[in-house]
This record gives sequence, C-alpha cells and structure tokens, in this order.
Amino acid sequence: MVKAEEKVLSVEEPREISSGWEPNILAFACHYCAFAAADLAGVMRLSYPPTVKVIRLPCTGKLDYIHILHAFERGVDGAFVAG
Amino acid sequence: MIIGKQKPFEEIWDMIKNFKKVLVFGCNTCVAICHAGGGKEAEILASMLRMRASLEGVEIEVKHAAIERHCEPEFFEPVMDNVRTSDMVLSLACGVGVNFLSERIGNIPVYPGINTEFYGAVPKAGIFTELCAGCGDCILHLTGGICPIARCAKSLMNGPCGGTNNGKCEISQDVDCAWYLILERMKKLGILEKMFEIQPLRDWSTGMYGGPRRIILDHIEEVEAQEERKGS
Ligand code: SF4
Ligand code: SF4
Repeated sequence: MVKAEEKVLSVEEPREISSGWEPNILAFACHYCAFAAADLAGVMRLSYPPTVKVIRLPCTGKLDYIHILHAFERGVDGAFVAG
Repeated sequence: MIIGKQKPFEEIWDMIKNFKKVLVFGCNTCVAICHAGGGKEAEILASMLRMRASLEGVEIEVKHAAIERHCEPEFFEPVMDNVRTSDMVLSLACGVGVNFLSERIGNIPVYPGINTEFYGAVPKAGIFTELCAGCGDCILHLTGGICPIARCAKSLMNGPCGGTNNGKCEISQDVDCAWYLILERMKKLGILEKMFEIQPLRDWSTGMYGGPRRIILDHIEEVEAQEERKGS
C-alpha cells in the first residue's frame, strides 16, 4: 500500500507557471491585531495586490481546518493566517 | 470507549474512487473523542476527497453527515432516506457501526474509513491507551485493577514472565510490564500475598475465541414485546 503522504507529495510537484500568473491568497486576520494592522496599512496608503482577500475573524482561534480546506477547494493558492 | 484511527488517505481514496455519490458518515460518540470519525473529521475528509477527485479529473459528489451513534437503530431512522441517496457510504464509525449499517441499508456498500483499534482510555488529550480486551470473565479483583489480558503482551495469568525488565515489557522499552504494575499495585493495597496464588487454566471461550457473543436481557425484551403488542 502506498502511504498517503507519498502520493500527496507527488500531487504537489511544482508545475510550470504561466507568465502573468498571480496567486490568489486568502488572509484570515484577527480583528484585534492583524486586521487592525491591515487597516493601518490602508490609512498609510500602503498597497497590496488585488489577488489578496482579507477575511476578518473575531480571533484566529476561530479558524478551523475546514475553513482552510474550503478555501483550497474553491481555488485559492495560499492561505495566510495572521493573529 | 472504542478507539479508532483513520485509515491512510490513499486507501480511502481507492475505496471511493469508482463511485459517483459518496457519503462520508461520521459517528459522534467514541470515534469523535479520538478525533478519528466524528462529524468534524467527516467534514474534513469529505473536503479532501473532493479536492482529490478534482485533481484526478473525476466527478464524484462527496457529502458528509454524522449522527450521535451508529450502533443503535433509533439514531438512523431520521436520516436513513438521505443516506440511501448515496451509492456508497464511507463510514467513520467503529467496525460495529459499519456492520450494523451494512445490515440495514440495503444494496448500498458501507466501507470502513477508520481502523477500529481497541477499548481504551484517554489519560491525556491526544493519548489513547488500551486497558481492557472484553474477555467476558473479568479478573481485575485478582490483579489490583490492572488487566493482564489487555496489558501484558502475552496475556499471562500468572506473571511476570522472565522478560520483565525494570518495569518494562520485553517487547519494548516503551511498554510497561503489566505484571510489574500489578505487583506494585498489590503492594500498595497490602494484598501482595494474592500475587502468589496460582491462577488456574482459563476458559478463553468467554471471549471472542468462543465465537460471536450475544447478551439478551429477558425482562427488557419482554417489556419491548408488550409495547409492540399494545401498539399493534
Ligand atoms: S480481565 Fe477481561 S474484562 Fe477485565 S479488564 Fe481485562 S480484558 Fe477487560
Ligand atoms: S514482560 Fe511483563 S508485560 Fe511483557 S510479556 Fe512479560 S509479564 Fe507480560
């Protein structure tokens, strides 16, 4: 029997990246720290790519595996958890 | 409680990959406590299987659900119609649940998503230890409350064997010698002399070696029968 990890790793083999491709990133941010920092960044007119979407959580302790899995199922390329 | 462990993902994928409508069906009692087969695990596994299916380019509808117990019929009744809309059920219940549902579901296969391991306790979050083997003739009163059948590698009735090594079993330095634990416990209880009573040959047929077991409580069965007669 093939071990799960081995097969999953082979699925993750790096693929060719077409030019102009930008990863879709979902950021889960805690209301009290990281989200406030993102707000501050806005106030300071700092910009970040439009492919980053921020979801505010009451606390990153609220984040469960399933939320990240749902994000991947819907096609995000990376999840960023800040809190 | 019953302790289980999720099967390797690849083995699960092989079981489901040729079906079109799969239900990952969790049980929210024992196997949920050991993080193997509760509703939460069912949801996570269903999501991973959907992703695998899309990576493989195959269309499989994978849903998830969970009920409180897979070993008593009344918990199934409200959900059975829904369960039957799948063409395969990947059960995350223990083996009891897989057997029980298989007998009731009709022509839909029910496959096991977990390996049912043992009867155990949870000494600390995330640690599960085997403490009883369900032998059908308990002798814990003779052994200071520590089970040599489940916890001694040889299920010795008159231990320890010559392999006992500073409190550890000869099979591994990570395994306590059950008979060492028994001896220490009996010392504490002030009944060490019991250790030296020779236990006679044991009748193992009270356990699983005697064939499948069944317990019938006549008084309860009779009440049920009366209720049924009243109802009809
Ligand atoms: S003696 Fe039998 S019933 Fe008692 S704890 Fe051991 S295996 Fe379980
Ligand atoms: S060392 Fe102890 S636990 Fe291991 S087989 Fe011998 S008596 Fe049993």
